[in-house]
Amino acid sequence: MIHHTSPEVGGMGHPIKRKEDLRFIQGKGNYVDDVHLPGMVYGHMVRSPYAHARLKSVNTEKAKKLPGVLAVITGEDLAKANLAWMPTLSYDKQMVLATGKVLFQSQEVAFVVAEDRYTAADAAELVEVEYEELPVLVDPNKALDPGAPVLREDREQKNNHIFHWEVGDQQGTDQVFQKAVVKAKVHAFFPRCHPAPLETCGCVADFNRATNKLTVYMTSQAPHAHRTVFALVGGIPEQNIRVISPDIGGGFGNKVPVYPGYVCAIVASLTLGVPVKWIETRSENLQSTGFARDYHMTAEIAADRDGKMQALRVKTLADHGAFNAAAQPTKFPAGLFSICTGSYELPTAFCEVDGVYTNKAPGGIAYRCSFRVTEAAYLIERAVDVLAQELKIDPAELRRRNFIPAAKFPYKSPLGWTYDSGNYEAAMKLALDKIGYPQLRREQEEKRKQGELMGIGISSFTEIVGAGPAHTFDILGIKMFDSCEIRIHPTGKAIARMGTKSQGQGHETTYAQIVAQELGIPAADVTVEEGDTDTAPYGLGTYASRSTPTSGAATAMAARKIREKAKKIAAYLLECSENDLEWEPGKFYVRGTPSKAKTIQEIAFAAYTNIPPGLEAGLEAVDYYDPPNLTFPFGTYVCVVDIDKGTGEVKVRRFVAVDDCGNIINPMIVEGQIHGGLTEGLAIAFMQQIDYDESGNVQGGSFMDYLLPTAVETPHWETDKTCTPSPHHPFGAKGVGESPTVGSPAAFVNAVVDAVSHLGVRHIDMPITPWKVWNVLKEKGVTG
Amino acid sequence: MARKQLVRVKVNGREREAEVEPRLLLVHFIREVLELTGTHIGCDTSHCGACTVLLNGKTVKSCTLFAVQADGGAILTVEGLIKDGQLHPLQEGFKEEHGLQCGFCTPGMLMSSYALLENHSHPSEADIRWGISGNLCRCTGYQNIVKAVQFAAGKMAQGGAK
Amino acid sequence: MALKIEKTFLVQEPIEKVWEFLSDPRQVAVCVPGAKITEQVDEKTYKGAIRVKVGPSVTDYTGEVQILRSDAQTHEIEILGKGQDVRGRGSASMNMTGKLQALTNGGTEVTSLSEVNVVGILAQMGARVISEVSNILFEEFARNFQARLQQPTQPPQAQEGTVGEPKPIRATSLAWEATKGLFRGKS
Repeated sequence: MIHHTSPEVGGMGHPIKRKEDLRFIQGKGNYVDDVHLPGMVYGHMVRSPYAHARLKSVNTEKAKKLPGVLAVITGEDLAKANLAWMPTLSYDKQMVLATGKVLFQSQEVAFVVAEDRYTAADAAELVEVEYEELPVLVDPNKALDPGAPVLREDREQKNNHIFHWEVGDQQGTDQVFQKAVVKAKVHAFFPRCHPAPLETCGCVADFNRATNKLTVYMTSQAPHAHRTVFALVGGIPEQNIRVISPDIGGGFGNKVPVYPGYVCAIVASLTLGVPVKWIETRSENLQSTGFARDYHMTAEIAADRDGKMQALRVKTLADHGAFNAAAQPTKFPAGLFSICTGSYELPTAFCEVDGVYTNKAPGGIAYRCSFRVTEAAYLIERAVDVLAQELKIDPAELRRRNFIPAAKFPYKSPLGWTYDSGNYEAAMKLALDKIGYPQLRREQEEKRKQGELMGIGISSFTEIVGAGPAHTFDILGIKMFDSCEIRIHPTGKAIARMGTKSQGQGHETTYAQIVAQELGIPAADVTVEEGDTDTAPYGLGTYASRSTPTSGAATAMAARKIREKAKKIAAYLLECSENDLEWEPGKFYVRGTPSKAKTIQEIAFAAYTNIPPGLEAGLEAVDYYDPPNLTFPFGTYVCVVDIDKGTGEVKVRRFVAVDDCGNIINPMIVEGQIHGGLTEGLAIAFMQQIDYDESGNVQGGSFMDYLLPTAVETPHWETDKTCTPSPHHPFGAKGVGESPTVGSPAAFVNAVVDAVSHLGVRHIDMPITPWKVWNVLKEKGVTG
Repeated sequence: MARKQLVRVKVNGREREAEVEPRLLLVHFIREVLELTGTHIGCDTSHCGACTVLLNGKTVKSCTLFAVQADGGAILTVEGLIKDGQLHPLQEGFKEEHGLQCGFCTPGMLMSSYALLENHSHPSEADIRWGISGNLCRCTGYQNIVKAVQFAAGKMAQGGAK
Repeated sequence: MALKIEKTFLVQEPIEKVWEFLSDPRQVAVCVPGAKITEQVDEKTYKGAIRVKVGPSVTDYTGEVQILRSDAQTHEIEILGKGQDVRGRGSASMNMTGKLQALTNGGTEVTSLSEVNVVGILAQMGARVISEVSNILFEEFARNFQARLQQPTQPPQAQEGTVGEPKPIRATSLAWEATKGLFRGKS
């Protein structure tokens, strides 16, 4: 049961103000670029202008001669130490600095180290590289053609095919399709986009020759995993490596992979014995670091005439760029894409994904999408709308007919997932009531008679987060548990450390609230620390909305272990048996005599000053939590758009988001996460793409072309919630950070297509720019 | 390499000076020479506004100015908002209204909002959104930042510390 | 990044004189701002260089110019120029077809149809600007072409090697013109 705590204690459900804000509002955050160490020097990367070329020579003489330059490292130099290549998180390998050839525009070719950043940049201009251009492959649909250029000569298999992955019942599904009376098909492209956190990636690598210790300040969402990778790849003893992830200016998945810049800075520091700082520019960030999506998907739904879905068939082509640097659990090369059956009861389904190489930046990572869940949710929600259009059934009604009923949870999907809990209909009802759905449909009818374009889009998504149980999940072999260590001080205050790493999610507050909930110690009295691998317990980091489901759970479990010991101490102090004691947040009291009580603070003091015989001193615990299952947050988003027929511009009139993430720790923080994620979804739907021309030149390689919405473009978000706790989580929470990015693209696209569906339009690919819309209107003869 | 030049500025009320290369960007001058790291760098095309400071009373993107251009001027950075240990109403507002998550855009947002409130003591929501349109944020979706500025406007109108 | 540029201009000289000029890459190179021919490899191939300065950014391309096709009867020539940035920051190629038409007033109409392809950093940042810059380059080429033709002709041998430092295209004015051009519409 969840006890109620007072606002002063600030346990579950209290919208307490964030503890971490104080330093940020004063400009006293400690981000990687703020780190300044004595004797520190700067690194600058030389990058390839060509998408595909032989590397004939790298001439560093002029660069080395520039006063202030300490070193220029090339691929050949690294090759001598067996470091020219490094493993990726997908069991592929990636060049750290190019040898032999380059495979994407902006690929790392040489690393210059100099006394200051300007000199390093000057020297980078003096590095002379000779290339011989090779034919470029940018269309993934051509990657497997017989005549296609072979990109990865380092692999045994001389083609551009990375993997084929499938799940489900192919035969059974095909049979259903053969007999189906209704079939709807959609080809939906999820364009390549980029998380673009406001702080770019970077590090300060500091090898201290006197202590043999390497400290790396790093923009890392997973410091422990990175430490282990550095130890294995670099051959440095792991106890001599310390990764410190200080304040991180946004991650969104961009700061999970290991980038060549980190490795080069480490090598430079090991070689020079001084701290080496490497901070990438925004252009480098957009052009070479982990991109997201780039999925070419086809979905087919077989249904009966009432719209009851009978089967789902999905085929996807995944463009991974030059190296498969995707960060996903080992057994899932396409991440958790098989959640593509969504919120619907489907008797059978089949899904296959093929990954290919192209001459583009390597990846792709999970950009706020829990391993490809955005792609999956987008696909099924688009397909359902296409089916609704085909059958002329209202899209909300069609969903209602197919939702997994609340009574059927836990629900085993035909693609292998056991959804923990859900109540899709309740969430949708709340959203539709809030937006006034029937009135909107009537308004749309009226507007259509006058030739005006207005659309309503629904997205009833199911998320799958909190990776994950040890029996199925690991990254590079490391199981995806997570951890918490809590220590209570004599004066009743506490410090808690976790294996996750916040990049803005408010962990210093929310984790403290979990401790407050479980132990009754005010959240204000609990210091939360993450990110220093020398002190925090081992964890897999923060991404894929996993912190609350894994470390949050570990925090509760560790606190409960402490409570067990506290009970023993209380029994000793109150001279009674443990069985006589009752707990309420903050104290144990004798059943029937509430005045005979000991507060947690008194118990803590006793743990150091009046220790019961036979018991160890201190009051602390560690928990490594192996989640029994993933969690399945869900929701319904409804978007209303108006289209300007003269310009093709789409205006979001209203957006209602109903989210269900189970029990909530801090509703203020949850709401903030929803606002942020919806804004990212808006950007993806309407204004973002990283594209490549036929020569492999990046289009969208800076903020001139890769657009982020400002406060002016961003609409007002209306949020609400339902609460369907997770039955297996210690306090019923599910995690929510990614739901808005997962669920919203379909809502936006469905709304735009809905606005023109009466003209026969069935699908428009993202990004839905005014130009694209205007062309559709022109084709249909309705431009203003 | 061009000869270094002397730059004299008043920063957050204090006189500071240093010899710098003419090509040194103002943002690097602030962060590395003056060691005030609250002002951040988020892009390389002058779009993001994380580097926003006030120069002679006007907001500027310090990544798009040379330090020598600020010579003789007065700079206000985020570190200059707090007075005698008292948070500025804007800083309070950002905390009260959850106007920040990762905190990276926050200094720039604070400086732009500061300038906005100097010119509009009762800004409408549209005024605020336009006022911060030169500052990008990836975390908050701007909604709570608007509330934070409204909080500050309200507090300042009541005669709170300016 | 492929761009197609078409330019037509008039020269007040007879067609045969213009043809003699146009069919000699060394003469043509003199008219291209920042360009020079450094060596003749064989009767159809030359080595050359061009320096393009846009703002503070300087790119030096070295490469080859090849005459693919030359017809003195129809007064048509097709030239392929390919160059790589010496600092390894990209490459550019241009396939130009030049056609002459005799005019009744004794002058000649010169039409050039070019396809320019740029790979590298310039193609990302300067994508929109590249087409405007190319336009301006051609306008200056046309002006130089007209001017040189209306001068007393110098023997071709004296051109090679004595061209000296190629005059770089005027930096800021070029970029400024290009940006202005984006707003003013194609001229």
